[in-house]
Amino acid sequence: MVALLVRLKLTLLRNSLRRSVWRTVGLVIGGLYALGLVGGALAGLVGLRYTSLATTADVTVLAYAALTAGWLVFSLLVFGVDETVDPAKFALLPVRARELQPGLLLAAAIGVPGVATGLLGLGLLVAWTRSVPLTLAALVAVPLGLVTCLLLARSATAAFSAFLSSRRFRDLAFVALALVGAALGIAGNLLGSLGRLAPDQLRGLLSGAAQVAAWTPFGWAWALPADLARGRWGAGAVHLLLALALVAGLWRAWGHFLAARLVEPVEGGGEATTVHRSGWIERLYPVSPAGGVAARTLRYWRRDPRYLAGVAGFLIAPVVVMLVSLTDPEGHPWMAVLAPALMSMLVGSSVAQDLSYDGSAVWAHISAGVDGASDRLGRVLSTLTVYLPLLAVLLGAAFLLTGRWDLLGPAVGLTLVLTLGGLGVGAFVGSLWQWPAPPPGSSPFQKGSSGGLPVLLSFFVTMAATVLVALPTLALAVASFWLPWAGWVALPVGLASGLLALRLGITHGGRLLDRRWPEVLSAVSERVG
Amino acid sequence: MVEDQPSSARTSHICHITAGSHRPSRGDVPAGGPLNRCPEDHGTPPGGSRPPTGARGGRARELDGSVTVFTEPMTSALSLIGLTKSFGAKRAVDGLHLEVRRGCMFGLVGPNGAGKTTTLSMATGLLRPDAGTARVLDHDVWSDPAAAKALMGVLPDGVRLFDRLSGRELLRYVGLLRRVPPADIELRSGELLEALGLREDGDTLVVEYSAGMTKKIGLACALIHAPRLLVLDEPFEAVDPVSGEGIRSILRGYARSGGTVVLSSHVMELVESLCDELAVVARGQVLAAGTVDAVRAGSTLQQRFLDLVGFQADTSEGLAWLRSSSASS
Repeated sequence: MVALLVRLKLTLLRNSLRRSVWRTVGLVIGGLYALGLVGGALAGLVGLRYTSLATTADVTVLAYAALTAGWLVFSLLVFGVDETVDPAKFALLPVRARELQPGLLLAAAIGVPGVATGLLGLGLLVAWTRSVPLTLAALVAVPLGLVTCLLLARSATAAFSAFLSSRRFRDLAFVALALVGAALGIAGNLLGSLGRLAPDQLRGLLSGAAQVAAWTPFGWAWALPADLARGRWGAGAVHLLLALALVAGLWRAWGHFLAARLVEPVEGGGEATTVHRSGWIERLYPVSPAGGVAARTLRYWRRDPRYLAGVAGFLIAPVVVMLVSLTDPEGHPWMAVLAPALMSMLVGSSVAQDLSYDGSAVWAHISAGVDGASDRLGRVLSTLTVYLPLLAVLLGAAFLLTGRWDLLGPAVGLTLVLTLGGLGVGAFVGSLWQWPAPPPGSSPFQKGSSGGLPVLLSFFVTMAATVLVALPTLALAVASFWLPWAGWVALPVGLASGLLALRLGITHGGRLLDRRWPEVLSAVSERVG
Repeated sequence: MVEDQPSSARTSHICHITAGSHRPSRGDVPAGGPLNRCPEDHGTPPGGSRPPTGARGGRARELDGSVTVFTEPMTSALSLIGLTKSFGAKRAVDGLHLEVRRGCMFGLVGPNGAGKTTTLSMATGLLRPDAGTARVLDHDVWSDPAAAKALMGVLPDGVRLFDRLSGRELLRYVGLLRRVPPADIELRSGELLEALGLREDGDTLVVEYSAGMTKKIGLACALIHAPRLLVLDEPFEAVDPVSGEGIRSILRGYARSGGTVVLSSHVMELVESLCDELAVVARGQVLAAGTVDAVRAGSTLQQRFLDLVGFQADTSEGLAWLRSSSASS
C-alpha cells in the first residue's frame, strides 16, 4: 500500500508536469528558489559549528520550531497544497484509514516543501555532530521533528477539512495568504532594524525566544539535542517524552479523522448566499455593454477573493512606506507623499490579468459579440471606481500629515499618469496574452504553479511599460526638486500623457481582442497539452 | 469547450481514484436519462405539445407557412460547410456538412468524442475552424461575426459562467452585453426565472446552484435577447424531469413561432420525441441526416444509431469473470 500510494503521487506529479510546460518551468523555478533558501540555511548550520553550543541550541530550536509552525499554518491556509492524493478520493475503495496512513504520510513528503524540509533536517544533523551523545540525540530528534511537521499538517487538514473546503473559508484564506506574504516581506525589513540593537541585547532576546519555543509543541522534538548540549538531561527526557507523545497522539487523531473522511467525503458548498438586489452599482455606469462589464467586474471586486487579495496586497506597500517615513524622525516626508504613486504603479497589472481571472466564463462576451473596446473600457472603469477613491484618501492623508503642499504638483501628476497610463498599458497587455488561472474560490496553489510564470511576466511587462509612459512626468517631478515650477507642469503633463496612454490602450487592446477572441477563450480554458 | 473527448482519456490513469469525488462527470449518460426513457409518465400536456411522430410532418408544413411571412423561405437557419478542426494529431471534426432549415427542431446525436461540442463551438464563433464555413441565417459566423452572433442564443457545455453573480444579475449582465433595453431585461428575466423554476433562487449566487440549475440559468441567458436560432449543447444534462418538461415546452413553443433550435444530446429517446430532424455524428463527420423517420428507416432510432456508429453488442464472450463473481457472491 505504501509503495502504491507513493507511486500514485509520483504519477500524478509527472502527469501534471506533462500537461503543461509552464508547470514544469514553475516547478523548476520553485525548486531552485527552495534550493537557494535551503543552501543558505545549510551554510548557516555549518557555520553554527564554529559558535558556542548555547548559540547553536538557541538558533536551531527557534528556527526549527518556526519551521514546524509554518507547516501547520501553511497547510491550513494553503489547503490543497498537497491534495493531489486527496483522502476523500479513496472513499469508494475498500481500504481502512490505518492501511492508508503510512503511504499518505510518505506521499505528503514528496514535493518541494517536503524535500526542502528533509534537507534542512539533514543540515541539523550536521550542526549537532560535535560529540557522540549530541549526534545520537540529533539522530533521534530529527526524524521525530520531521514526522511532527508532516503529521501536524495532515491531521490539521483532515480535522478541519469540512470547514476548509467551504467556499467562505477558501475566500478568506486566499486574502489571508496574500496578507501573510506581504507581511513576511515587511517583517524582513523590521528584522533588519533589529541589527541596530546591541549584540548582547540581541543575544538575550534570542535565548528568551528559544526558551519559549522549546516548550511549545512545535519545539519539543527539536529541543532534545539543545537540552543535552546544555547538560539539562532532565529537560531533555521530558522533551523526548512529549515529542513522542505528540507524534503518537497526532497519528491517532489523523487516523480518526481520516476514517471519518473515508466514510463521509467532504464536499464543498451547501451554504446558499443570497445577494441584495443593489441597483446602485448599475446606476454608476452607462447602459451599454461597457457599463455592464464595469458593473459585473465591480461586483467581482467584492465577491471574488482574488480581487480582494489584490487590493489588500496593493495597499500594504504604500501604507507601510507612509507609516515608516512618518514615524521615523530621520525619515523623508516626501516619501510619504509619493507613496500613493507607488501603489498606482501596480493598478494596471490588475486589468492585465482580468481576462485570465474570468476563465472560460468569458465565452459570454464572445458569443454576445461584445466588441473588444467595450470590454476594455468596462474593466478600466470598475478598476478606477475601486482605486481612485483609495488613492485620493491616501494622497489626502499624506498631505495633511506632512503638510508638504509644495509637492502637490509632482505627487498628483505622478499618481495620475501611473494610474491612467497603467490602466492603458494593462488594457493592452491583458488582451495580448492570457493564461488559465485557477477559478475563484479554489486554492491558489491547488493547480500547481500553473499560471505562475505568465502572471509574473505580465506583471513586470505592465509595470515596466507603465514607468515608460510616466517618464516625462517623472523627469519633471525630479526636476521640481531644483526648479519648483516644473512640479506644477508635471500635473497637466501627467494627466494628459496618462489619458493618451489609456485611450491608446483601450482602442488597440480592443482591436486585438476583436481579432483573437476565440484564441483568448482557448488560452484561458484549462486544456490538455 | 474543446475537451469533449480528451477528458475521458486524460483522466483514465486516475479514474479508479477520482471515482470517489462526487462531481458528475460530463459525458456520462446524464441524470436526464430516466426522464427521456419514459416520457409518458409525466402525462402529455394539453394542447398536444408532444405530437405523435406521424403528426410531425403537419406541424412542419404549418411552420413553413408561418416562416414565409417574415423571411425568404429558402435560406437555412444554420449551414455548416466543410468544417474541419484538429487538435494536435487528432482530427476532431473532419469536413462536416450540415443544413438546418428554419423553424426546425434539430438534434445532433453522436457518441462521446464524436465532435459534437467542437462542431457547435465552431458554429457559434467560440472556436476558430481550421477550414470550412458556418453561416447563420445568411450571415457568415467568421467573416460577419457581429450580425451572426446577434441572431444566435448559445448554451455551451463544459464552460464556466460568471458564477459570482446571482441568477438575476447574470441575466441582466448577458442582456446588457447583448444591448437589450433594460426594461425588457427586467421583464424577460422575471418571466424566464419563473418559467424555469428559478424564481426562488434568483438572488442566490450561481456558484451555489446545482448542475441542473446551472444548465437552466445558462438556457435563460441564451434566450434573453430573443434570438432567431438557439444552439444548445446538452441542454437536458443533469436537469430533473419536471424542469426538463418545462424546457421542452419552451423549446417547442419557440420552434412553433418560427425559431430554430439545434441541440446536441446522446440520449436517443429525447431526440426522437423532441426533434423534427436530426443528424448522427461520429468521428467528426455526419453519418446520416434527415427527418427522424427517414433516419430511423423503420427500425428504432437507438438501433439505427448503433448500426451507424458501428457498435456490436458482442459482450457475451467478454467480462465472463464479472458474471461469475456476481453469481458467487
